Amino acid sequence: MARIRFENVEKKYANGFHAVKDLNLEIRDKEFLVLLGPSGCGKSTTLNMIAGLEEVSDGSLLFDDELVNYMPPHKRDVAMVFQSYALYPHKSVYDNIAFGLQMRRAPREETDRRVRDAARKLEIEHLLDRRPSQLSGGQRQRVALGRAMVREPAVFLMDEPLSNLDAALRISMRAEIKELHQEMQTTFVYVTHDQAEALTLADRIVVMRDGVVQQIGSPGDIYERPRNTFVASFLGNPPINYIEGQIKVTDDQMVRFVQGELELNFPAETAAKLADCDGLTVLLGIRAEDVEEGSHGGAGAVLTGKVNSVLPVGSDLFLGFELFGNELFFRVGKDIGHASGDEVSLTVDLNRLHVFDKDSGASLIW
Amino acid sequence: MRHLFGYEERSAALFLAPVMLVLMGVAVFPIFYSLYISFFRIKLTRPNRTPFVGLDNYTDLFTNELFWVSVVRTVTFSVVSVTAIAVIALLISLLLNQNFRGRRVLSTILLVPWAIPYVANALMWKWIYDSGYGALNGVLYQLDFIDKYMIWLGDQDKTIFLIANAFVWKEVPLAAILLLVSLKSIPSDLYQAARVDGAGVWQRFIHVTLPAMKPGFMLVMIYETMMAIRHFDLFFILTEGGPGDASHVLSWHIYVETFRNLSFGSGAAMSYVLALVTFALSYVFIRTLGRRI
Ligand SMILES: Nc1ncnc2c1ncn2[C@@H]1O[C@H](COP(=O)(O)OP(=O)(O)O)[C@@H](O)[C@H]1O
Ligand SMILES: [Mg+2]
Repeated sequence: MARIRFENVEKKYANGFHAVKDLNLEIRDKEFLVLLGPSGCGKSTTLNMIAGLEEVSDGSLLFDDELVNYMPPHKRDVAMVFQSYALYPHKSVYDNIAFGLQMRRAPREETDRRVRDAARKLEIEHLLDRRPSQLSGGQRQRVALGRAMVREPAVFLMDEPLSNLDAALRISMRAEIKELHQEMQTTFVYVTHDQAEALTLADRIVVMRDGVVQQIGSPGDIYERPRNTFVASFLGNPPINYIEGQIKVTDDQMVRFVQGELELNFPAETAAKLADCDGLTVLLGIRAEDVEEGSHGGAGAVLTGKVNSVLPVGSDLFLGFELFGNELFFRVGKDIGHASGDEVSLTVDLNRLHVFDKDSGASLIW
Repeated sequence: MRHLFGYEERSAALFLAPVMLVLMGVAVFPIFYSLYISFFRIKLTRPNRTPFVGLDNYTDLFTNELFWVSVVRTVTFSVVSVTAIAVIALLISLLLNQNFRGRRVLSTILLVPWAIPYVANALMWKWIYDSGYGALNGVLYQLDFIDKYMIWLGDQDKTIFLIANAFVWKEVPLAAILLLVSLKSIPSDLYQAARVDGAGVWQRFIHVTLPAMKPGFMLVMIYETMMAIRHFDLFFILTEGGPGDASHVLSWHIYVETFRNLSFGSGAAMSYVLALVTFALSYVFIRTLGRRI
């Protein structure tokens, strides 16, 4: 059992830097929670507070309703995987994995059994006598995982564990980490700046920026219903497109987005939320994949513009597209037959539009 | 025709040539020349008779009683000095690796002895230890530790340790900096990982700090041992090997043989023995301490 609760938690470093601001978060038992945000936003700081490596400056941190603000790391029943792996360079792989158990004076046979168990699961049995310096990045990664696994902790903490691996390995390790979570049945808190990683792994994602939580929700929620432009921009590849324009509420209660010659009518559900925004300057957000080639009509609106660039990315194409002076990026099927300079029509799914207040960046349809 | 070496190599050789020539003259040539003369009986008091004597200069050494005394003195001096240097430098480097107010000032002050030339250091300690107006006498007298001024360097039992003390004072800064560098190179994640793994302060020191310091430690041991074994300036300036033979170390023995007895052949032989011993010791250090780094 391990629930973790942050109540109005603040973190100020000794030099006065305010790294985490008014954090309120409940991490559920056996949940896979991902802390997501750009570098320097306070993810590691938050994780280190859970580990007990950094002190909480203000507020309460609770494990299962017990206040742990001042509890040292080794009493917290947490294990951690570091970005650099932090393997003890002069110890063998075996001793690296066994170290946590040895420090806790676990019986020798028990330690040995657990180390070999973990090594077998991670397929590093043949490496047990090696030193970390004799291992590849992927193998070191596994040793770091093994070191955390054998402790059978109540909370498993990982700080960007995959960011030092090459792309292919990163993707296969994602699957293994997900499996590990299912097998271990413990609470996982995972830090990353990689939105794709967060979307695949998380039960819930916490998006942070400059020490402030922006949004907490399931991957689907965060992706489909971003609370503000920061969250919307941070997730998705290529990133979401914005068009700046005005909301116009017509006499017959139609709600319309207007930018010069471009006019779009919002569907009823969206329109209802924007009813009193007449004249407001907004950013219209269109996700790169929310368009289809051609002019099918239906719920869609047809945009006609000029192709600026075509970037094949394997399965898909990234299409640079110019529309009334806006440079937009879309993701379309690769069999689209256009080249730069062509005139194309794209149908945009009006139900999937995002609308943000230009000044605050907050979503107007949340 | 294509050259064996490329343009870069050839111009590098050209630029290096002057230095290499000078080194040949002042280093390489003396090394071989001293080996050569160590096989002759060369005494400047009889400059015209310099017979070839083979290994006699070497074998004579081992029957010379004073030579063996000097070996004992050298070993005592080196063991005491190097041990003290290693321990004190370790403590200082651990201290300087902490974050505290005034750390920078302290590190700067620490470096002062390092900047002082050996001879100046020796002269300074000659003053400190002086029996008439020395600072050591002054301080101890005023603090009532002694009731009359002492002739410190005149005491056979203390001399070698007092000289070792002066040597340690001079050598500790460099050793501490070398150890501090290896301390600084330890990533902080390792300590964090060890804390999460449940290691206390002492266990973190044993399992993270000490192993990481091993290369630095080895460097300090080898370097300081070599410095101690061959050290000359302090013995020359403070005691001239005395009182009696209390500080008659090997380097002093070689000096006396070569430049006072003007016996160049056997002096060269002794120098070779000293060089070989130094070399052998470093080898032993590397083999024992250097294992499994
Ligand atoms: N020990 C420290 N002292 C002062 N500032 C720190 C310290 N550690 C981190 N910071 C600052 O706090 C902010 C958040 O850091 P961190 O939590 O490591 O970010 P990230 O989200 O990249 O993991 C950064 O701006 C960083 O510079
Ligand atoms: Mg980080």
